[in-house]
Amino acid sequence: MKLKQLTRDAVLTAIALTIFMVEAQIPSLVPIPGVKLGLANIVTIFALFAYGPKDALLILLVRVVMGSIFSGQITTVFYSLAGGLLCWCVTVLLRKFLSDRQIWVASVIGAVFHNIGQILVAIVMTGTPGIVVYLPVLMVSGILAGLFTGLCAQFLFGKLRNLGQF
Amino acid sequence: MKSTKFWAVLIGVVLVLSVAVAAGVYLWRGVGTMACIYQNGTLIERINLDTVTSPYELTVTDRDGGENVISVEPGRIRISDANCPDHVCVNTGWISDGVIPIVCLPHQLVIRIEGGGNSDIDIAVQ
Repeated sequence: MKLKQLTRDAVLTAIALTIFMVEAQIPSLVPIPGVKLGLANIVTIFALFAYGPKDALLILLVRVVMGSIFSGQITTVFYSLAGGLLCWCVTVLLRKFLSDRQIWVASVIGAVFHNIGQILVAIVMTGTPGIVVYLPVLMVSGILAGLFTGLCAQFLFGKLRNLGQF
Repeated sequence: MKSTKFWAVLIGVVLVLSVAVAAGVYLWRGVGTMACIYQNGTLIERINLDTVTSPYELTVTDRDGGENVISVEPGRIRISDANCPDHVCVNTGWISDGVIPIVCLPHQLVIRIEGGGNSDIDIAVQ
């Protein structure tokens, strides 16, 4: 790994972790676990489109593991990892079919698969397949949150490219 | 490369479907008196007491061999027998509303009625 790449990924991971920690302090509007904006994903989506799958994966993994340690909820790491990895796989595939102005699409579909991953882990961990009924609820929140973070990432991508940052 | 319109329509359809299913699930869960049986804090069984036509029994066993026999009748539920030391759960008797749950502390078992089951009592203190 080149020094420049390492530094860049480290900075992006730090930004993602900071956003994650700040967001964790905001009380949830809906009392359903798993429903949140996921603002840190702006960084992941941006990194995926600007620098490629490998950088995005590294940033995602470090942010998820360190984020769950810092927020003191280690058990959430399984939910976040499953959701995050599934989301990463899907967005990496989608990236080939999307233009720079369709980044939000990858974010929305990625968010939906993030929810599917979370639900699958929840089913395995609690042993109750019945919680699959929460999937539609999570999907509604995921689509809206994914749309928001995706548009943020898309604007960021456009601005930084115009500045010649990558 | 698909047009943005294609993706917008696809996502819109999925969003509408999710809202519909979520609303459907909410309504379906809200209708009827649901007896929820929790073991160690996890929901293991949901019984719609409004659709029970004939009484029946089921036995819940925990890992240490603790047994609770649960009797279900139309509109009400109780623990009819248990091998716990205190029998608080059995002595709670029948419940048909969400005021007081049946709790068997030694076996980490809780039966709570959620949704429906309208009662004149808002809350009870024991």
